Amino acid sequence: MTNPIRAWYAGLTDAESNVAWSVGVLFVLFVLGVASGVINLSYGLYLLALAGMYVLLSLGLNVHWGYAGLIDFSVAAFWGLGAYGTALVSARDSPLGFTVDPIVGLVVGLALAAAVAVIIGIPTLRLRSDYLAIATLGLAEVIRSVINNQSTWTNGPSGILGLPLFFGTWPILGDVPRGAPTYALDVCLVAVFVGVTYWALRRLHLSPWGRTVRTIRADEDLAEALGKNAFRFKMEAFVVGCVVMALAGVFYAHLQLAITPGALDPTQTFYVWIAVILGGSGSNRGAFFGGLVLVLIVQGTRFLGGVLPSNFPSAAVRLLVIGVLIIAVMYARQEGVLPAQHELITPGTTEGNDE
Amino acid sequence: MSDDAIADGPVTGKPDPVLEVRGLEKAFGGLQVTDDVDLDVERGTITGLIGPNGAGKSTLFNLVSGFYEPDGGTVRVNGTAVTGAEPHAVANAGLVRTFQTPRKLEGMTVREAMLVGPQHQTGESVLSVFTNRGQVVAEERANLERAMETLERFEIARFADTPATELSGGQMKLVELARATMTDPDILLLDEPIAGVNPTLANKLKGFIRDLNDDGITFLVIEHDMDFIMDLADPIVVLDQGSVLVEGDPGSVRTDDRVIDAYLGGPLDE
Amino acid sequence: MSATLQYLVNGLVYSGVIVLASIGLSLVYSIRGFANFAHGDTMTVGAYAALLAFSGTSALLVGGGNATAGGGLAGLLGGPAAFVVALAVGMVVAAIVAIASERLVYSKLDTSAVGLLIASIGVAFVMRAIVQILFGNIQQAYALPRSGPLPGFGALGVAVTARDVVVVVATIALVAALHVLLQYTSLGRQMRATSDNRDLARASGIRTNRIVDATWAIGAGLAGAGGVFLGLSLRLQPLMGFNLLLVVFAAVILGGIGSVYGAMIGGLVIGVIHELVPALSTYGVPINAQYANTVAFLIMVAILLLRPRGIMGEAV
Repeated sequence: MTNPIRAWYAGLTDAESNVAWSVGVLFVLFVLGVASGVINLSYGLYLLALAGMYVLLSLGLNVHWGYAGLIDFSVAAFWGLGAYGTALVSARDSPLGFTVDPIVGLVVGLALAAAVAVIIGIPTLRLRSDYLAIATLGLAEVIRSVINNQSTWTNGPSGILGLPLFFGTWPILGDVPRGAPTYALDVCLVAVFVGVTYWALRRLHLSPWGRTVRTIRADEDLAEALGKNAFRFKMEAFVVGCVVMALAGVFYAHLQLAITPGALDPTQTFYVWIAVILGGSGSNRGAFFGGLVLVLIVQGTRFLGGVLPSNFPSAAVRLLVIGVLIIAVMYARQEGVLPAQHELITPGTTEGNDE
Repeated sequence: MSDDAIADGPVTGKPDPVLEVRGLEKAFGGLQVTDDVDLDVERGTITGLIGPNGAGKSTLFNLVSGFYEPDGGTVRVNGTAVTGAEPHAVANAGLVRTFQTPRKLEGMTVREAMLVGPQHQTGESVLSVFTNRGQVVAEERANLERAMETLERFEIARFADTPATELSGGQMKLVELARATMTDPDILLLDEPIAGVNPTLANKLKGFIRDLNDDGITFLVIEHDMDFIMDLADPIVVLDQGSVLVEGDPGSVRTDDRVIDAYLGGPLDE
Repeated sequence: MSATLQYLVNGLVYSGVIVLASIGLSLVYSIRGFANFAHGDTMTVGAYAALLAFSGTSALLVGGGNATAGGGLAGLLGGPAAFVVALAVGMVVAAIVAIASERLVYSKLDTSAVGLLIASIGVAFVMRAIVQILFGNIQQAYALPRSGPLPGFGALGVAVTARDVVVVVATIALVAALHVLLQYTSLGRQMRATSDNRDLARASGIRTNRIVDATWAIGAGLAGAGGVFLGLSLRLQPLMGFNLLLVVFAAVILGGIGSVYGAMIGGLVIGVIHELVPALSTYGVPINAQYANTVAFLIMVAILLLRPRGIMGEAV
């Protein structure tokens, strides 16, 4: 009965078992915290939902940086495009003046991000890696600036309020009382998003596509010499990653029920970067773990800010912690905590890599 | 081939060239590195490309394989114009090159690196990975089988699971050659295949190249080791100051005064 | 017309800040080989160090708490003289912080240019967090009296303040000093040699570690000065440098990344264009003044596409 679990545990590397332990301990602490009332149930569920969202963002950036080696500093912008995409078509206060179901909003948000990804990718993806970093950060600021200033389309700095809950129009699910029950639904929703994304990205990564993209990351000239159209593969990786980031944005918009341009702050982009490089570039499990750590840092310092005297500079401390973490990871363990280990060969093809 | 053992300049108008280069030009900052190069590589040959340092051999490789954009002239592979095309398009047309310094693929095992070779894999399409699973797996299985056979043929099957970064330079050269054959090229351009390789392995490589040539792959090889290239290749094309000086059989080239002058009078075997 | 002239004047002042920052970014890139994302925050550090020094020095010069008078000899000394001291302190502190980041972080990392770039984001966050913790997240200003427009320029129909003149003149002086240093001193020759080829420079006896330190010191010192001038013409806040970083990158890329003289020209052009964007609407181009940064970034992307080595670099 316990054999599969025991076998799974025995197969873990030291790093993996350490991570499994710490995630387990944290989860137990979290459940105890909620059960004992130290953490408010609604807040606890909200935190879980937020953790799921950060995991999605990390998975998306992992496609860019971990799979394809693209230094993308526009994470916050694509996240924001997803959020604005759904908000514009589903929110009561949308300046567009009509509302559709959040499901349609989801599609709109993802499509918007995909379209903008193509438009941004065409000029930037041929650039050298450090130029790509600067160009994507610049174009992300252009997106933020447009959202901030085109008030007739986006409500400008005041943002869009009055988003419906994702399940708001559904039978039964739409009628649950606000608070913990709706947050519980949010947790379920993000779990589905994360599950589907994780599955899809894993399948994509462990395939000839993933292998070619990894080759391009390691040596673009070589990939080209072997007949691979590097630009096409980078574009595909860029669009896929951006769509995953937009999915996180769609979810966030329907979690907060509002979105403002302030959410597109580039600092958010660097938060996600720390999650990916901390977790281990190129590894989906690493990105998952990094996303969890990130919510711990972001919300942990907020939590401290609430407990400590009101003049405690929690935002600055959060920044300090993240800055030190970035340096520490680059210094101590550049491959991250859970580095990529898989051979990128389609599972079921060889003995030994079928799972 | 004509009966002339050696020709002044290139021999063009061959019956069945895989690679045809005409009037190729390239300058860097005012320096004419490739100066009106004509070149035919006949199908089925192992053609040697030699010349003193700075003669423009590597530049010619880069121009032909799409890594540099020529200032003028044309390049045809199997009769298709690929002038100025991107490297992957040139490779798709049937011309594949290797690099002087072996490229190590970080985080990939040898067999993984081998699997990058096959062209137009169904599983390279994002959509097919999800919609055409059966074919992706079937192709993958066939490619893996072929990769293992190829590794065995090159006597490096024992490294199949080894990370590519852990191989020696010589072993990596073998992997590069093996991987290049996985692309099913019509013509393979080898840039100094035995640079930094010990003599035993160099001999082995020579044998492998001949075997592959017997299988129908045409070769164009840059190599500084004169004994190696003179033994392996026929004809030999000599490049000097950006253009083709002479083309001929190894024996004639070796003793040709113009060639010896081009190498500053020094003995060719150096 | 005079409105456009006014924008041009504003552009020159803004350019001063951008030029000083661009030179440092380009210099560090040429010697150290990576895009330093902490450069903007280095400006912030310089500006705040000067703020601290300014309040200290003016208190000292004016003799304790009697600074309110604002007139007489004490007032004169307490203002401009203290500011010169503060500027120097800002430049020196920025330089020290940059050398410390090289010694403590960058030189310890066995990584690629990309790894250094990511590490520099960490360094930027640490700098910004420390500024926020020490000075708070509020806007501040140097306690210098703000004078009105200088009367001499009134005839031209433009308003030019003493602060504007200080920024432009000081920038010209610093750029001239750098030019002399690069072209006519042994340190400058060694820096240029190291930038061309670090290994060759080391082989020919140049102590490249010292050159690297000098590069950081000069680059960050100029950035610190840029930060002080930015604080002088606007205000100080912890994000001031980071918010400028992309405009500085735009200038550096326009001039050709790694080229010091390119950075000077790129900084001048981007600074002026940035401030001229509002003027466009007076010529019938309907563009919101808020899009000044956007215009700069789009120029940057266009340059990256069309001429990746910049206007001063060789064409590819």
